Amino acid sequence: MSSRLSFLFPIGLGVLLLAYLSVFHVNQYERAILFRLGEMVGTDFKPGLHLKVPFINNVDTFDARVLTLDTKSERFLTSEKKNVIVDSFAKWRIGDVGLFYTTVGGDEYQANLRLEQILKDAMRGEFGLRTIKQLISEDRTELRKTLLTKLEPVAGKFGIELIDIRIKRIDLPPEVSSSVYQRMRAERERVAREFRSQGAESAELISAEADKQKQVLLANAQRDAENIRGRGDAQSADIYAKSFGKNAEFYAFHRSLQAYQTAFEKTQDTLVLKPDSDFFKYFNSEK
Amino acid sequence: MSSEQHNTSQPTPPPDWKAEADKYWRQVSRRGAAFYRDHQQLFSLPNLGALLGGALALTWLASGVYIVDEGNRGVVTRFGAYSDTTQPGPHWHLPVPIETVRIVNVEQQRFIEVGYSSRFAKAATLPQESPLMLTSDENIVNVRLAVQYQIHNAQDYLFNVKDSEPTLKQLTESVERAVIGRNNMDFVLTEGRSEIVAEIKREIQAAMDDYHAGITIASVNLQDAQPPEEVQGAFEDAIRAREDKQRLINEAEAYANEIIPKARGAAARLLQEAEAYEAEKVAKAKGETERFEQLLVEYEKNPAITRKRLYLEAKEKLYSGSNKIMIEAERNAPQFYMPLQAMPNSHPAAPNPRTEPERGGEASADKGTVRKPAANSELRPSRSKP
Repeated sequence: MSSRLSFLFPIGLGVLLLAYLSVFHVNQYERAILFRLGEMVGTDFKPGLHLKVPFINNVDTFDARVLTLDTKSERFLTSEKKNVIVDSFAKWRIGDVGLFYTTVGGDEYQANLRLEQILKDAMRGEFGLRTIKQLISEDRTELRKTLLTKLEPVAGKFGIELIDIRIKRIDLPPEVSSSVYQRMRAERERVAREFRSQGAESAELISAEADKQKQVLLANAQRDAENIRGRGDAQSADIYAKSFGKNAEFYAFHRSLQAYQTAFEKTQDTLVLKPDSDFFKYFNSEK
Repeated sequence: MSSEQHNTSQPTPPPDWKAEADKYWRQVSRRGAAFYRDHQQLFSLPNLGALLGGALALTWLASGVYIVDEGNRGVVTRFGAYSDTTQPGPHWHLPVPIETVRIVNVEQQRFIEVGYSSRFAKAATLPQESPLMLTSDENIVNVRLAVQYQIHNAQDYLFNVKDSEPTLKQLTESVERAVIGRNNMDFVLTEGRSEIVAEIKREIQAAMDDYHAGITIASVNLQDAQPPEEVQGAFEDAIRAREDKQRLINEAEAYANEIIPKARGAAARLLQEAEAYEAEKVAKAKGETERFEQLLVEYEKNPAITRKRLYLEAKEKLYSGSNKIMIEAERNAPQFYMPLQAMPNSHPAAPNPRTEPERGGEASADKGTVRKPAANSELRPSRSKP
């Protein structure tokens, strides 16, 4: 019995080995080509386990996912004969894997090189038809669709299925950028100047208006004050006239006496008198 | 084997552990050997091989056990082909090489930064490019975004797109420039921020869905939208200018608010002074006239007496205060010399003016005998009638 078992053991191992060499698996994210002695015999393999003939068949697998072509920055001329610096990228995946193998050797790097060339050519053509303003501001879907339509058949020749082409950045060349900054600065300075002069203008208006109001207020008050004073003068004159008018002569007498007193009240005055006035009536004689 | 010899007369010795262990081991090995002898068939090579193989098989099967943590998913492939996505919890898959499982975190919020890198970013892995871009009015702005995303479909994420995160970064750069290129600078820097961010998020999501990347954009955050460094000075000055404008206006209004009330105050004062003058004038008039009228009543009762009295009182007051010179000379008397300057200011002692005419009408000062020449020495006799 043991001899039978010991005989079975290596046979079992051999079977396993054979099984291992007769199958291959394709991952969910892969595409595979089956070769027989160097010749392509099968390209359409769903993910999972498949059979092959050991030693005679061999399998090559390729990344079936969405791959990226990231180009280097390139200068393009616009329709206005101005330069722009453009950086773009494309998204693609393997379409016809057999074609992919025969044209670019199934190499992602090679594929990207080829793709970059045709992409740049197409872009050069499209950019030359548009102005800078169009390129920057217009909806880029239109440009994208044009490029895709143009390039899909070309890429298809390499077994490549183009999914997306996008412009990552459009920049002005550095020498132009500095003049853009200059323009931006000048525009801001203009805005600043405008603000400041508007402020000065409004301030001037406000303070001039205030000054005017002040003048008007004072002038009106002055006029009214004079009126009042006049009124006072008139009223007092009226009172005097009415009162003194009751006996004009007596008023004259009384008032003159007061006037003489006031006029000569200073002790520094010197009066030179003749004693023949009424005052001195009894001065020289007692009669 | 213990070398110690114990005297039997002594009490029971302490247990000797080494001796005991040796004795036990001998028992076990004797039993094991007996077992082996009795069941030799059992230990034949095939049986041993079977046992070993069985143990190996069990281990191999056990390797298919795996646990999916909360927030993760397990993506199971069978011979490479997608088979199933498992939820959090314990699971078992047919062991390698038949089935494999990859765990993907679908709840974690990941993020990428475009146009800058903070210390949380994987700065080394993704290249940073200039954050400057053109607006529709051909101005340049500096924009920094942070994009937060989540894997929402583990299967798509693993199998559809190579380099998902760099892809997202490229798309973000492309989309942000497209969106900002459609708007002018003022809009981008001020009111347009939220609208632009929403637009960018929409477009990135659309593209990622187009690629079936299995990623959902949670949010796009505008970290910063600034004019470029080269022109920031001018931009800041424009802001300062706006503030200056307001400041100038405020200052003027403050000035107006100061002088107008002051002017009103001055105007009121003018009026009040006038009114005071008016009242004073009228009151003075009233006072004087009342005084006069009262006097008038008395006068009219007895005019002659009152008249005389007033006259004499007035003259009395008048003459008592000042210097006096009495001249009794007739008309056509010779002119004489009157040294008025020498007169003192106070009440002089009354000289006897009658002695003077003997000297020929020579007037003399009350006290002074000094005959100093005066500027106005010549004086006519007073002829005013009182």
